[in-house]
Amino acid sequence: MVQVNDQLLLVEPRGHASGKFQRLKASRLHFQSDVRAAMAQRRVYSLWIAPSEPAMDLLLGTLPRRPRGDDRRLLSFERARGDAQNLVHAHFRFVVSAGDGVQLLPIAELIDVLGADNRADLFVGGVVLAAQSALLLYRGNLEPITIPLDWFASRPGSPGPDVSKFAVTDYGQTVRLGDYEAATDAILYEFDEDYRIRAKRQRIEKDESIGGSIRRLRLQKGLRQGDFPGVTAKEIARIELGKVKKPHRKTLQKIANRTGVPVDQIQSY
Amino acid sequence: MAFTLKLPAPWESRGWRAKIRDRERVEPPHVTIMHKAKAWRFGLRTQQFLDAEPDPREIPDEVLEATRADLSLLRQTWDRMYPENPIVSKTPKKPKAKRKHKWYK
Repeated sequence: MVQVNDQLLLVEPRGHASGKFQRLKASRLHFQSDVRAAMAQRRVYSLWIAPSEPAMDLLLGTLPRRPRGDDRRLLSFERARGDAQNLVHAHFRFVVSAGDGVQLLPIAELIDVLGADNRADLFVGGVVLAAQSALLLYRGNLEPITIPLDWFASRPGSPGPDVSKFAVTDYGQTVRLGDYEAATDAILYEFDEDYRIRAKRQRIEKDESIGGSIRRLRLQKGLRQGDFPGVTAKEIARIELGKVKKPHRKTLQKIANRTGVPVDQIQSY
Repeated sequence: MAFTLKLPAPWESRGWRAKIRDRERVEPPHVTIMHKAKAWRFGLRTQQFLDAEPDPREIPDEVLEATRADLSLLRQTWDRMYPENPIVSKTPKKPKAKRKHKWYK
């Protein structure tokens, strides 16, 4: 019996161990009894990895009759055959399957990211959704996040993003679209409020004023002080300088309207 | 196109990178030093690390020295890539309180 005491669970049937995952610090599940024991444990969430077809077979053959609704997530390198895919989705909250067109990090980088404490703040892969003009990215805890493609704006004198050449690189810290690169940090800062709040707490130089937040928000959105309809550039400057300590609710609403950030989230910047 | 600073060969081959990418958190201007799954934002205005974690002492001196040595190149690159928030545009400081009395005149 394998002791299951980690969030990371590697399904590795006897005789089918993958040398590629040797470095990964995860609980190894070799037999059906190991899988059952792991299924019975309650955790905040568990991240399961099935790197091969025999691993998927072992997992699928051991799933309980009735899902308990625990937060399980599955990273598989072989898509479950036929209807078994529905079974997988019945038991796992998030399923990332390399067989579904998802491009993952190279294995050596993937292992480091999955084993990192900050895995939720890194990407392990993604897929371009051309019809939706979006990029679906998966974090190291397998949570998905969808980014509109038009967010990847060109920089002066630089080639624009080439979505046909999508890859996650730098151990999940960079999203590459051809020669164009976007920082994972910038993506999460923009699209995940919880990440933004944590990132703000991490900053050494703290300017907690509403003016500081508005300035950071404005610059993050690529706006000038004169770009806020109904609010003069002078007024924005006075707020950013701290001359206006408590901007009027209507002013904040106009800033929210222009930036697309709800009023109650402005101070998270 | 992202800018990658040339680091001394042994450190580059050990996976150290210093980059300014096409989309970054815009304020404050910075270069990101990366090693595997860790990253440090180094401020281009103040030459100070911007975040408390991870610990900047994990960065080899040679990597940090190489970054500091090319500071003007990094600043130029930032200004070219992020003209809306150039290095010279410092975070506004709170205005000094006005003197109430002009007795010294």
